[in-house]
Amino acid sequence: MDETTAFALEGQKDATGARLGMWLFILSEILLFGGLFVLYSAYRYKNPVDFHHASRELDVILGTFNTIILLTSSLSMAASISALQRGQGKLSMVLLAATMALGFLFLVNKGFEWGMKIEHGLYPNSPILLARAKGEILFFGLYYVMTGLHGLHVLVGVCVLCGMAMLIAKDKMNQMHFIPLENAGLYWHLVDIIWIFLYPLFYLIS
Amino acid sequence: MKPQEEIRKTRYKTYALVWMILVILTGMTLSVAGMELGGWTVLIALAIAGTKSGLVLNYFMHLRSEKLLIFRVIIPLVMAVFLVFILLTFSDLAFRGGVK
Repeated sequence: MDETTAFALEGQKDATGARLGMWLFILSEILLFGGLFVLYSAYRYKNPVDFHHASRELDVILGTFNTIILLTSSLSMAASISALQRGQGKLSMVLLAATMALGFLFLVNKGFEWGMKIEHGLYPNSPILLARAKGEILFFGLYYVMTGLHGLHVLVGVCVLCGMAMLIAKDKMNQMHFIPLENAGLYWHLVDIIWIFLYPLFYLIS
Repeated sequence: MKPQEEIRKTRYKTYALVWMILVILTGMTLSVAGMELGGWTVLIALAIAGTKSGLVLNYFMHLRSEKLLIFRVIIPLVMAVFLVFILLTFSDLAFRGGVK
C-alpha cells in the first residue's frame, strides 16, 4: 500500500466516523423528543376530548404551510450537498441560502402563530388558560414546550447552515472536503422528521 | 469508497421525486384527518408520518446506502428502547385503577 492510498483510506475512515458520531447525536435527540412524545400520548390517552377541543384552536392552514416549508427546505439542503460534491460551490451556497431562508420563514410563521395564541390569552399559566379544562391546559403546555424546543432546533440549524455557507465561501469546504456540510444536512433532516410527527399530533386531532 | 460514490450518484431528480411524494403524503394526512374514522385517524396519521420519516431517513439522510453494520443496528436499537418506554408508560396508565 503506497502512501497516497493509505492517506485516502484514512480520510475515508474519518468520513464514516464523523457520520457515525453525528448519527449517535441524532439518536440521542430522537430520545429527547421521544420522552416528550410519550408524555404527550399519556396525557392524550387520559384527556382525549380536551385534546380534541384544544387542537381545534390551532391554525391548520398555517401548520400545513409550515410542513411544506420544512419539507422543501430538506430538498434544498440535500441538493446543496450534492451540488458541493459535484464541485458546484456557488450553486451549493445558493441552495444553502434557500434552506436558511425557508427555515427563517418557518420561524416567522411560528412566531405569528404563538403571537396570536398569546394575544388570545393562551400562554402557560395565563388566567384564561388556567380557567379551562385540565386536558386543555396540558395540551397547550405540551404545544409550547414541544414546538418551542423544535423551533429552537430550527434556529440552531439556521445558524449552523450560516457557518457552513461561510466555510464554502472561504473554500474551507469544497468537492474534496464536505463532511461538515453532510453532517449539518443530517441535523437539518432530523429537525424535519420531528416536525413530520408534531404536525398531525398537534394540528390534526379529530 | 463505495457508499460515497453511491451517494454522489444520487440525482437531483430522485430528491425532487421524494419531495413530491412527501408533499402528497402531507395532503393525505390532512384529508384523512377530515374524515370521521374514530380511533383509526391517529393510527393512519402516525403510519403516514412513519412512511414520511422513512423516506427522509433513506433518501435525504442516505441511510439506505450506509454499508456499515453498526448503522443497521443502532437505529432499530434506539427504536426498541423507545418502544419499551411507550409500553411501560401505557401499561402503567392502563393498570392504575382508581387513581386518576
